[in-house]
Amino acid sequence: MNKKWAKFLALPLAATMLITGCSNSNNGGSNASSSPSGDASVAPADKPATWIADRKIKGLVFMGTDDYTEDMNPEIKAEIKKRTGIDFEIEIMKASKSIDGLIAGIAANDLPDFIAFYLNNSGRPEMSVVLKAAREGVFTDLTPLMKDTKVYSKYLQEDFLPNDTKYGVMFRPEFNGSTYFIHMNVNREGGYDSRKYAGGPYIRKDIADALGVDPRTIKTTDQLYELAKKIKQGGFKDSNGKDVVPIGPNYWGGQEIGKLFGDLEWGEENQWIRPDESGKMQHEAQNPLVMKKVEYVQKLLSEKLIHPEFFTLDESQSTEGALNGTWGIIANMHNYQDFNQDMHYLPLGPLNGIDGEYQMQVAFKSGYSAWAIPSTTKNPEDIMKFADYLATREGKLLWKYGLEGRDYTLGADGNPLVKQEVMDLRTNDSNAAKALGFGGVKNYWGELLGSTDIDWMADFGEMEYGDKLQDSTSQGALEIAKYWDWDAKRANANVFDAYSPNAFLGEFARGNELKAAFDNYKDSLVKAYYSKTPEAGKAVIDSALKQMQAAGLDDYLKLLDQKHADPHTKISYRAF
Amino acid sequence: MKQTNAAPALQAPKRRLWKEILKHRYLYMMVLPCIVFFIIFNYIPMGGLLLAFKDYKFNKGILGSPWVGFDYFQTFFNSYQSGMLIKNTLIISGMKLFLYLPFPIILALMFNEIRNKWFKNISQSILYLPHFISWVVVVGLVQRILAPDTGLLNQFISGMGGDGSTFFMMEPDYFYQIMFGSHLWKSIGWDSIIYMAAIAGVNPDMYEAAKIDGAGKLREVWSITIPSITPTIVILFILSLGNILSAGFDQLYLLRTPGNMHLADILDTYIIQIGLQGGQYGYATAVGMMQGVIGLILVVLANKISRKVSDTALW
Repeated sequence: MNKKWAKFLALPLAATMLITGCSNSNNGGSNASSSPSGDASVAPADKPATWIADRKIKGLVFMGTDDYTEDMNPEIKAEIKKRTGIDFEIEIMKASKSIDGLIAGIAANDLPDFIAFYLNNSGRPEMSVVLKAAREGVFTDLTPLMKDTKVYSKYLQEDFLPNDTKYGVMFRPEFNGSTYFIHMNVNREGGYDSRKYAGGPYIRKDIADALGVDPRTIKTTDQLYELAKKIKQGGFKDSNGKDVVPIGPNYWGGQEIGKLFGDLEWGEENQWIRPDESGKMQHEAQNPLVMKKVEYVQKLLSEKLIHPEFFTLDESQSTEGALNGTWGIIANMHNYQDFNQDMHYLPLGPLNGIDGEYQMQVAFKSGYSAWAIPSTTKNPEDIMKFADYLATREGKLLWKYGLEGRDYTLGADGNPLVKQEVMDLRTNDSNAAKALGFGGVKNYWGELLGSTDIDWMADFGEMEYGDKLQDSTSQGALEIAKYWDWDAKRANANVFDAYSPNAFLGEFARGNELKAAFDNYKDSLVKAYYSKTPEAGKAVIDSALKQMQAAGLDDYLKLLDQKHADPHTKISYRAF
Repeated sequence: MKQTNAAPALQAPKRRLWKEILKHRYLYMMVLPCIVFFIIFNYIPMGGLLLAFKDYKFNKGILGSPWVGFDYFQTFFNSYQSGMLIKNTLIISGMKLFLYLPFPIILALMFNEIRNKWFKNISQSILYLPHFISWVVVVGLVQRILAPDTGLLNQFISGMGGDGSTFFMMEPDYFYQIMFGSHLWKSIGWDSIIYMAAIAGVNPDMYEAAKIDGAGKLREVWSITIPSITPTIVILFILSLGNILSAGFDQLYLLRTPGNMHLADILDTYIIQIGLQGGQYGYATAVGMMQGVIGLILVVLANKISRKVSDTALW
């Protein structure tokens, strides 16, 4: 009987294996379907100098559909093909969290010609995933491919890359000169600003006017508390006639906002590590300041000066409250928000930090997002050449400004002048504009491989797409920046080249355990805010601290002390 | 045919079996998609359990990765969270298994007594509907109903002169009620269907005989309906024991807040956090496998006990 059942089982099993086997062989077709590239080192006589190869390049993007889209404009695609021979295509891996998609995608071992993923710095969770993959031979070594490129060869120069990009992400000592990922969005010049950002809390202008308060004079959390009390007493209403909440959450959804708790915030928000008075690294939970913050938030909550779901409210409701004017103070937003180009919300503060008066923090250079070429990709040099082309001024002009004549004209200085109708379309029908297929209208396919060595002002004569047009959306933003005295703050800024404290969890033996304990601290902090008494809050913080210590916090802080002592691995700890 | 001479004794039953299959070929064809489904989605993935004992390498695959023995199990039980996770999982799944058990049965008994067909259909449809709503939507509704100050419940409380600012989702004291209440609302209608079907299968002659003997409605329910559907209840209960260490990922993941996390963190959410989001496949598989093995042992034990004390058993 057993034999009989084995046969019954074997038959469907064999059929399944056959199906699986067949599908696997097809999966490999992503590369196989590419046309043979031939020798692409020299462009054929009848092709332009930018010619790379007659082939398809397909990328899998592990980033959100809010930021990227698979839809490319056919005319733009044709133009790419004409100039480079490349039939470019991207697919976005849909997952509830981009890192889930990245892990599943790499584990499936079925990657197309290149992959792109979020990577702000080497402390981001994606880093440990791609690092493991690189160590296990999933990716191609890119160093030899970069040598003969126009733009990417700059990455091999001594002073081009910021420390974290160089030593933490790309040229890690363990790789002995090889690199497996390209960190993107590195500025051409150190301390370059692509935008005049004024981020932090904002207050409704009519409320500030009615109360006779200059929002820029609010510098401390005590002053903020007094202001919130006045807003509550003022009986202000939102656009639906409902009572205003004095302090509303972050525009993009509830969370801890360091900029709102300025002089009570220990280190960068979500890191909470910085040197104490003796210069030794310390976690917020080890410092008495944390209880001041807990008591402060408890006071705001109990007096109903802050939204009761400040730390947990979802994005849609947080944004809705901002749009309806329900939040007297929005805990955090920036000056480029479309809804506030009429300046009906004004920046508050900025609040001082625990080191004293506010000082703008500017990263020397910092990367954002990355890409890699799987080791299964045929002729990987084609992908590098294509990325290099997209990173040149000509490539950037194509993916950021679209097609000459259709989307822009060239000025006398050789820089693009955005057409007014494109700008109008972008304002009035964002989806139709996006279908035009370039970065200026928020279709960012080109950023994946081409957005680096950035200096928009030098390349195109404007910081933002369409800045030269008077009614462009950034005009309001620039007015706010002026009101906030951005230029003076920038002149006095601290330019730093440093790592986030969590960046070294990957090399710490108990990194996974400690990361879980850090995550637990983040939740425990909120739990402490909602505790009935300061004592109960302290018990919650103490318990979270014990868990972190059990997971190796003290050893990790010692590691950070060592890193901070090395000029190549300075730790950043000031809230922005 | 060559085997005919070699093993004539085996040939006869084999032939009979094929004859039987041929005779009932249409029934076998109907069951074939189910068999294929289970093979593809349940049996083949079981090969992945090897990961629980391996240090998974992207480039080597499951079979090529090196063995690590029981390391992951050791790590899990040494983790400061393991005790809390197991306790939370057992409490929540225990509530869903034992406390919840009578509710769909009572609902099915109530439906059975409704004589107005129109009202019966409407009320059944209303109670089935929540089953089709995803947990994301259900928890979204719960959050809005229970929101501090603006939520329906808090507005009612403040309307009655109360405080009206309780953040129910953040208070651990209300967690079990919210968890159980939302589970009950979403599942009770759908889960009552199988009991309704069992009740429909009870021989009407028994009710008639009871009536002649002077039994009232309650006596009929107690002495005829419940004993008749007991085998169904027992079998469903034994089957659900297999999920004792799976307390329902999506509901708990969404209901979790910093305030209730010490009650809401369960093995399922832990597997997602550590295994999938942290990329530790082997570790996650080990914890998942532990859930499955304990579930299997419980099902086997419960089945044995049930067979001993009653006539009802799965096998």
